[in-house]
Amino acid sequence: MSMDRCTRCILSGAFPGISFDENGVCSFCRDEIIASTDATAVDEARKRVDALFSQKGVRVDYDAVICYSGGKDSTYTLKQAVEKYRLKVLAFTLDNGFISPTAFANIRRVVDNLGVDHILFRPAKAVFNKIIRTCVFEKVYLPGSLRRISAGCYACISMVNNLALRLALEKKAPFIIAGFTLGQIPANAIIYQNNYRFLADSRKRSLDILKTQAGPEIGKYFLLPDDLVDSVTTYPYTINLLCLEEVTEEQIVAAIAPIGWQAPQDVDGCSSNCRLNVFNNYVHRLKFGYSPYELELSHLIRNNLLSRSEALEKVRKQPQDQLESVMRHLQITKDQLLQIVPVRK
Amino acid sequence: MDIKYALVEFLCKNFMVDEDEIDLNESLIDQGIIDSFGLVEISAFLESAYGIVTQQEQMVRDNFGSVHKIVAYVERWRS
Repeated sequence: MSMDRCTRCILSGAFPGISFDENGVCSFCRDEIIASTDATAVDEARKRVDALFSQKGVRVDYDAVICYSGGKDSTYTLKQAVEKYRLKVLAFTLDNGFISPTAFANIRRVVDNLGVDHILFRPAKAVFNKIIRTCVFEKVYLPGSLRRISAGCYACISMVNNLALRLALEKKAPFIIAGFTLGQIPANAIIYQNNYRFLADSRKRSLDILKTQAGPEIGKYFLLPDDLVDSVTTYPYTINLLCLEEVTEEQIVAAIAPIGWQAPQDVDGCSSNCRLNVFNNYVHRLKFGYSPYELELSHLIRNNLLSRSEALEKVRKQPQDQLESVMRHLQITKDQLLQIVPVRK
Repeated sequence: MDIKYALVEFLCKNFMVDEDEIDLNESLIDQGIIDSFGLVEISAFLESAYGIVTQQEQMVRDNFGSVHKIVAYVERWRS
């Protein structure tokens, strides 16, 4: 049966591998396709987190580097890390040049109120913009990597992950805390410890494309220095703490308001910190025919953490004036975007 | 169940690809079928299906560089 969108979640007919029954319910909702989000994996992750944190060192300056975007999810995660898990954290923010001014104010208030150290890193703006432009017009990442995320966000988050790993290794912090939710990542990836050399080797193709267009100097954002890699005996665990919490958006916002977080008004419905998101979503839709947030929001619907109408409101709130503002900053015109060839399955 | 069959079935269901889209001799990352989270998912699948606990130093191209290499890794582990 051909459908525009599932009647139970919000997955589009353009989503890879989807099919619909006679009631318009998609194969993901019918569990014909295993989405790797089972409760068992979350329970196992909780036990592992408790065991790992019980061994945290007393002689390190920081137990964890925490990727802190200033959005509501990473703010809640930071609060949990400090108040619930009692970790000594170093908060790290990548300033991509598109962080909402309200989000910046949130970052300052929250780190001050929680009493944590904070590092801000801002890559050269012209270089970062070239990276995003390359993600728009070149096939930097293969389609299999882009079902939960847009190419622009993928590049930005890859930079965050690499820079956070570098910080954790330099500070000898045993953990990296990220704020992804289930749906954004699979349940089996709540805790992981990767082999850096294999991953760096696997990412060579995409990095080569980025370097060709944005310059060889961008390697420093996506790779660790060789001498640092040579000195590593063990890599930190990356832990997505928010995946362990069954919490609604409303509860998150209520929990972080007392530490100074306020909702920015100049972002799209799927972001609470980044003005670039509306543009990345637009390009993803042009290429693939669906929002990169559909899988995540549909997961929340199936777990009764978000209503279908709320999810639809989020994907539909893509303010045109902000899209145009970002395009001007990136020096990309609508005519250029319309020349993008859709990559639809 | 045959290891290769079980692995391919897992990949098709979890990464939304058809069986004939998977080159069994090529890296799943290079083919664009999985990303780094996918590697973590596959190692979790190996743990639940075969009891194999993969340490980060074992997550290398020789073990995870293709479907055939993953199958060989499982067979080595079981022997």
